[in-house]
Amino acid sequence: MAARGHVQDPNDRRLRPIYDYLDNGNNKMAIQQADKLLKKHKDLHCAKVLKAIGLQRTGKQDEAFSLAQEVATLEPTDDNSLQALTILYREMHHPELVTKLYEAAVKKVPLSEEYHSHLFMAYARVGEYKKMQQAGMALYKIVPKNPYYFWSVMSLVMQAISAQDEKLAQTMFLPLAERMVEKMVKEEKIEAEAEVQLYFMILERLGKCVEALDVVRGPLGEKLTSELRSRENKCMMMYQRLQLWPECNALSYKLLLKNPDDWQFYLSYFDSLFHLMDKSWSQPEEGEHCVEGPVQTTVTEAVKFVVDRMEEQDKKESRPLRGPYLACLELIHRLRQRGCPDEKELGDPLELMVQFFGKFGDKPCCITDLKIYLHLLPPEQRSQFKKRLGELVPLGEAGEDGFGFPGDTKALQRHLCVCQLSRALGLQHALDTEGKLRLITELKAHYHHGLQFGDENMLWQCLGVLEEGLSFSPSNAQFKLLLLLLFCRLGAFQPVVDLYSSLDAKHVQHDTIGYLLTRYAGSLGQFAAASQSCNFSLRFFHSNQKDTSEYIIQAYKYGAFEKIPEFIAFRTRLNQSLHFAQVRTERMLLDLYTEADVTLSLEESVKAMGVCPEEDDIPWDNMRDNRDLTVLVSWDPKDRELTEEHRRLSLEEESVWLKVRSLTLRLLASLALLGHAPSPRNSDKTNENGISAKSSTLQTLLSQLDQTLETAAQITEKQTQYPFLGPPSSRLASALSSGSCITSGSFLFPHADLCPSLPSSLSPLRPEMLSRCKGEVLEMKDGRLTTRPSLLETLVFFVETVCVVLWVASYSASVLRPLKSSLQKKKKKKKDSSSAMPVVLCGFQEWTGSLQGVVTQALDHVKGQEASLTALKLAALTLEEGYSQTQVGSVQSSYLGSLQELGDLLRKRADSLKSLKI
Amino acid sequence: MTTLRAFTCDDLFKFNNINLDPLTETYGIPFYLQYLAHWPEYFIVAEAPGGELMGYIMGKAEGSVAREEWHGHVTALSVAPEFRRLGLAAKLMEMLEEISERKGGFFVDLFVRVSNQVAVNMYKQLGYSVYRTVIEYYSASNGEPDEDAYDMRKALSRDTERKSIIPIPHPVRPEDIE
Repeated sequence: MAARGHVQDPNDRRLRPIYDYLDNGNNKMAIQQADKLLKKHKDLHCAKVLKAIGLQRTGKQDEAFSLAQEVATLEPTDDNSLQALTILYREMHHPELVTKLYEAAVKKVPLSEEYHSHLFMAYARVGEYKKMQQAGMALYKIVPKNPYYFWSVMSLVMQAISAQDEKLAQTMFLPLAERMVEKMVKEEKIEAEAEVQLYFMILERLGKCVEALDVVRGPLGEKLTSELRSRENKCMMMYQRLQLWPECNALSYKLLLKNPDDWQFYLSYFDSLFHLMDKSWSQPEEGEHCVEGPVQTTVTEAVKFVVDRMEEQDKKESRPLRGPYLACLELIHRLRQRGCPDEKELGDPLELMVQFFGKFGDKPCCITDLKIYLHLLPPEQRSQFKKRLGELVPLGEAGEDGFGFPGDTKALQRHLCVCQLSRALGLQHALDTEGKLRLITELKAHYHHGLQFGDENMLWQCLGVLEEGLSFSPSNAQFKLLLLLLFCRLGAFQPVVDLYSSLDAKHVQHDTIGYLLTRYAGSLGQFAAASQSCNFSLRFFHSNQKDTSEYIIQAYKYGAFEKIPEFIAFRTRLNQSLHFAQVRTERMLLDLYTEADVTLSLEESVKAMGVCPEEDDIPWDNMRDNRDLTVLVSWDPKDRELTEEHRRLSLEEESVWLKVRSLTLRLLASLALLGHAPSPRNSDKTNENGISAKSSTLQTLLSQLDQTLETAAQITEKQTQYPFLGPPSSRLASALSSGSCITSGSFLFPHADLCPSLPSSLSPLRPEMLSRCKGEVLEMKDGRLTTRPSLLETLVFFVETVCVVLWVASYSASVLRPLKSSLQKKKKKKKDSSSAMPVVLCGFQEWTGSLQGVVTQALDHVKGQEASLTALKLAALTLEEGYSQTQVGSVQSSYLGSLQELGDLLRKRADSLKSLKI
Repeated sequence: MTTLRAFTCDDLFKFNNINLDPLTETYGIPFYLQYLAHWPEYFIVAEAPGGELMGYIMGKAEGSVAREEWHGHVTALSVAPEFRRLGLAAKLMEMLEEISERKGGFFVDLFVRVSNQVAVNMYKQLGYSVYRTVIEYYSASNGEPDEDAYDMRKALSRDTERKSIIPIPHPVRPEDIE
């Protein structure tokens, strides 16, 4: 718990037990103790607040809130109450109330540094920049400490950053901030490094690069000491922005002499060199040298510079650095781009790369290094290159199978690198099937050998190798990720749960790789696992808002001003995460599909979730794709790698699918609320208006769904294929081809004002949808396995559709029931036994009957699948084909698990069908 | 062949290749933000030319100057598997030591799992020695005690007599370390 003030205060002694109970999570005792204390000391406000904290933590939010407000209206000025209220409001997610609290406190105690400072922080928590600026100045006036002054300045910068109108930022906020700092500079009051950093930040944002350079290079710049090379980095940044290529060149040169491995400076060295050449820049007259030292302006000089750096490394006794050798390749690449013949002076790229491999081939990163420069080799040299590299890999005598093996780990690493390079060169992809199979055999043999120191059938073989690999290297993340991916593609989600949890992915990793779980769990019918996966992610996202605010405040306290906008951008990035929106939506849909109308009615479920049909809380225009789509390492050739276009298409596809899902959710919500409408007979005017407002929401959502489905159809027409190790395809295409309800939304969701004709507008579940689910999900023929996981996905869509259809039907029933009873009353009066039931009622009954039929069929289908899956004699599979018994077994049991969950859900729905009688 | 620069929040979205390593802990967001807010200069990342993150170091300065305990601390140091054996960890440690020198620290210290021989040997090569053993410093995710740590130290130039690294013979408990 927060600071407890002064030990001498008798109130502190009295309150202490309550604090202790709260600290230990004993909220009930805390409440009791507070009540006891309040009986004796009615005016001990803090006790009330502590009681409120206890109440809040035991789920009694309303009681807690009103108790807190009792104290807050008294505008307390004692430390204990203020701190406790601050904690309470934060736990209640009402940080804005803390500002009110301290606003009142500073009014009563206007000279308190502490309360003013709390007020500033309270504003910071909610991002009230203008008020922060004022609060900072107020603080500075009470206690003229520099940090307070600069808090105020930074708040101006934040106003500039958050301003909608860039002009306002450039002409008002930033210039004002600049003047505030200049004032301190003139009065020679600058004290801390943070203040200079902030000055630099302001000038940079104003585009005043010359002034910024003067600050960094002048006496103020001497304060920039914490970060290594802080001044150099800042100068470089400004040189680049000002296009001061001579300075940029000379500084890069200087820094490379000191650290010949720092890649960024090679890039700036080459960039500046070519800029200078393009401008035919020449050294000025004597005495006007560049402040940063000698400038290089010719290719000859650059070639010499790089060659010298390489020679320096060659002569070194200690470990050589890779930088200079790669710089040489980079220079060739750039010279070639410019069509400059001088590249020859650096040597033949093939020879240089072979040399590089000679020096660094036993390093695991050799592949990533050389990969960037493979394009320097003409296609006809590729095989030769591989051959030359092969000569540098010491392999033992070839055995019976014709394979020679490396003798130690260094040789193994070299061999591996050659394999990776030949893959990256496309040599492996160019093999015919036989060649590929031989390569697989060879690689497997190498893997097995290495352990002394690791078509669908191919898929099963991969699984086998990976499983074996994992048993030897139980913490290899790539093995796990690959296994996870393969199981998902096989439609077997159960093994994935353990694999993923063994990766120990936490916190931000839920956002970056959580998609590996959430993409598949629900779509394969593993609803419990799906819901859990969503929860992991949701817990992370929900704590983010509160967490980040605290560190924005810390950044003010420690003067890490440049981190403040960074933290805010980070928070925004998380809030706008695609994955966040997905798990939010899927979690609610899952709850509805599995629970609504089973334990609670649809209406109650929707209310409990707080879904509002009118509200769309997904940031469609600013969606951030935080997925790590390269978490699986790939050595594939360039044309098979994940491109920016793939990323764009995947995000587009996922967004459209998310839109379909979120509209489905909101439509269900609006349906639930329609159902709540009282029967027309008892309704008065206002209620009728209420209903029509609701039904117009429904109409709007329906037309949005139609539009989205049109876009969806266009997207699936593209049939985008992603690299195998890249993002999984969204569920969009399979949803559309399944004939699921969502593809005919307007059919299913009735028009509320067309009550009498309801059943005819309701298309019963189309039987062909179920027929699409038929077939064996796992089949064994001639000792080989065939899987059809898409059948599971289709079945999931079918079950989801059943749920939706039932909800619509139950709404219809609620409309028709009063109609029927009124008819019956009339009938009794007229005693006219001959009058038949109206068509609409018969239609409905007929319709529910046919629905019952489809659901029964579906249940039979699921039962049949379960039976044939269980009956498979998997033990008969030969291991020679590469099957692993454990893996085949876990695929089988995962399919069974999916079928069981789907069957359970269908049975629950079959029960609710019975209640549809009217 | 490495770009060394300040670690930023955006790097949290890209560090899976480093953090999926079983000995590298992924902390909650507040932990990273605290370091970024308080000691941004001590949080450095190495980036490969292709944009992959190679490794990072995360540290802080703490301790009382009066008691000659002001020092640099290595909180986390990790290099992705494919960028090992290049001397990157040594480079990052060198940078952290330089920053600590500038801040006038007396020494640099770090905790390492007793079983992590590769790391212990590397630190020894970089001039670190075992100052003391901390009993059950590491705990498993279920909260059960897991393993002891070595508290390793290296004296900086301010500690001319190298007093800060004289080993303490008896092991200590985590609650007894400052």
